Amino acid sequence: MSKKDNGASMHIRRTVGDKVFETAVIILFLLFTFICIFPFYYLLINTISDNDLVTGGRVNFIPLLKDAAGNGVLGVQFNNYIALQNVQDLGSSVFVTVARTILATALMVITSAWAGYLVTKQKMWKRSFWYRFLVVTMYFNAGLVPWYMNMLMMGLTDNFLAYIIPGMVWPYNIILVKTYIESIPSSLEESAVIDGASTLTVWRKIIVPLSIPILATIAIFGAVGNWNSFQDSLLLMNNRPDLYTLQHRLYIYLNSSSNLGAMMSQGGTVSEQAAASMLNQRVIQYTVSMVSIIPILLVYPFMQRFFVKGIMLGAVKG
Amino acid sequence: MEGINRIPDPAEEKQGFGYKAVLWIFRLAALLGGMAMFFPPANPGRISEKINEAASLFTTGVSRDTITNSMGRILRSQWIQDADITLLMIACCIVMAGMIACCAGACMSLGNHKMRRRGLLLPVIGAPVMGIGLFLIHQAYVSMLAHGEEVGKLDTIKLILPGGFPAFCVIAGLLFLTGLTALLMTRPETDSSVKMEMDEKYRLFLMMLPVILLSFIFAYLPIWGWRYAFFDYKPGGTIGMDNFVGLKWFGSLFNDPATVSDLIRVLRNTLIMSGLGIATSWLPIAFAVLLAEIRSTKFQRTVQTLTTIPNFISWVLVYAIAICIFSTDGFINSFLTNVLHQTGANTNYLQIADHTWLKMLLWGTWKGVGWSAIVYIAGIAGIDQQLYEAARVDGANRFRCIWHITIPGLMPTYMVMLLMGIAGILSNGMEQYLVFENAMNKDVIEVLDLYVYHIGIGQNQIPLSTVVGISKSLVGVTLLFAANGISKAVRGESII
Repeated sequence: MSKKDNGASMHIRRTVGDKVFETAVIILFLLFTFICIFPFYYLLINTISDNDLVTGGRVNFIPLLKDAAGNGVLGVQFNNYIALQNVQDLGSSVFVTVARTILATALMVITSAWAGYLVTKQKMWKRSFWYRFLVVTMYFNAGLVPWYMNMLMMGLTDNFLAYIIPGMVWPYNIILVKTYIESIPSSLEESAVIDGASTLTVWRKIIVPLSIPILATIAIFGAVGNWNSFQDSLLLMNNRPDLYTLQHRLYIYLNSSSNLGAMMSQGGTVSEQAAASMLNQRVIQYTVSMVSIIPILLVYPFMQRFFVKGIMLGAVKG
Repeated sequence: MEGINRIPDPAEEKQGFGYKAVLWIFRLAALLGGMAMFFPPANPGRISEKINEAASLFTTGVSRDTITNSMGRILRSQWIQDADITLLMIACCIVMAGMIACCAGACMSLGNHKMRRRGLLLPVIGAPVMGIGLFLIHQAYVSMLAHGEEVGKLDTIKLILPGGFPAFCVIAGLLFLTGLTALLMTRPETDSSVKMEMDEKYRLFLMMLPVILLSFIFAYLPIWGWRYAFFDYKPGGTIGMDNFVGLKWFGSLFNDPATVSDLIRVLRNTLIMSGLGIATSWLPIAFAVLLAEIRSTKFQRTVQTLTTIPNFISWVLVYAIAICIFSTDGFINSFLTNVLHQTGANTNYLQIADHTWLKMLLWGTWKGVGWSAIVYIAGIAGIDQQLYEAARVDGANRFRCIWHITIPGLMPTYMVMLLMGIAGILSNGMEQYLVFENAMNKDVIEVLDLYVYHIGIGQNQIPLSTVVGISKSLVGVTLLFAANGISKAVRGESII
């Protein structure tokens, strides 16, 4: 990307061919960007428009509400989001997913920081063996069914801990942290040791504060991964629908051919049921999808500065 | 780093091989026992089949809810007395306390002479404590047995002495014997002014140990599940010599007509979809190169930001988006109907099986190309600008610059990505294909990973799916090593 500055001085006289080429490229990118973004926008406007107009397929480019004559006019409403509280089992999924995202990410970051620091210690007994022991697991897995049988044996099926504990040791992140810590001047650590600091103190007071950039990187990627998690819920939580993650719940909603009643919680007050009846299944699917996209879009601006760091450090071998 | 230097330990040097062997047996026994506390199949406290199968010794000791969650009626009718359950839990806690003492002793035995001597006292105390705990578990068993006989419900409460019980007895005995032997073989302290210390190399290792154990349990232990490949195992059943079938399941990959035709089908899908992915793996480079040709930085950054978003949503959400665009009342159909006034536009494009491979490729590209391009965009930024200037002075135009400078500059990164892609040709994951799968496209969308999921978890054919998984893992590792070998030979650099 840094080419642009020099490029500007170089392109003193642009030929017609250059202009045509650049315009074509710009159009190409505008088109692709539109394809990437429009579905999200379309999803959004369909959740904030009048549900009858949505069902009739009238909402294509702008959010619409009905006017007195029943025609669509520009406007938004958020009743669908409010009505989500009546959607069966959604609350528990959101709670489980939020809890999982926070806990699993925090533990993963702590473990990675700790292990990443320790594997830089040349003095550890059989250090390179243990480091390889961890890294090899990135390239090899026993297969889905043996993994499942193992989780069964460990009592981690139908158990919330299955979301937290297996994800703690993530070799890729340990490599990232290790590589980063190796770039910290060792004199800082040495001086602390001379002052009598223990390994734990050095880690807590020196290594962790100096590694914040890389820890933030793995935290944010880990959080997105946890938020998007679907497979472990699908495989492990067969008897505990209350522990389904949000993505799993959404998957069920998307595939449910059942009518609206099955999706909405039973009972409730009259006004709740009235609110529920305003919804149709398609709109619920859209709105739940939107709910699970929004947090990602919210952290997205913060993530961006970590992209290159995260992906480039990965190229550094262990 | 000037750490604590190796502490001279004359006592140890004079002891022979036997001493070290005893110490290592002791440490190993403590490690095994320590892990067994969290290992449900080794639970010595599961004295009734009604106690949750997934409860480990630790769970049995601390969570009454977990162990009693499937014995509601038994407890309500007092066929097992509450007091016995309490006794069982206390007994389990005592076993654990003894075991923890032994583990602490094993850790301390890595220290200097003084620390080791103190540490070895722990199993000598801890192992008998375990013995007391195990005795109390047995008492709870005897008491339940007596009470069960009294109320005549022995058939319902299903008392057993679990396999973990003798196992823990053996471990406790071993810990006691090795601990005591090692203690007796360790010389008494001569200099009481020496402090308890541990050599730094072992200290660091012990700090690392929890991470190593977690990795072992969740990444290495599953390999133990490969044994299902050699047995006629049914879920809920057991494996033993009576259902050992040797290589039957491996043979069925080649002999059983139904399995063979399934495998050919899913391998075709897998290889075609991976192949399409590899064939289009240059797209991110094209993306990056073309983006770099645009002179507005703001435009570049905006495009990059917006095209990366799809990478961060899950495949379930991609499917949700696919529904809202392509389903019967999705965007395409309502656009055709309401904007172009076409009648009868109500095709559900997701239910059409034509061109499934191509569609899957397009979804993958939509989701991933912006993200994959980042590494190349960063690569272009890292190319020396003087190369371009020199080329321009020599009269090279834009395309020659791209062809002779940018592309060669990105090649090393591309080669790594390509080799990794080839090494992972059999693993294209299952999420994407699972969410897009339906009755129409079932035959063309099922890839190897999804097939393993369907037969293993869906149809409970544990042995067959294990065999397929094993074969896949072995081929994957072989390909990875081959790719690495090629990389070493061609570029002089390894990729793993």
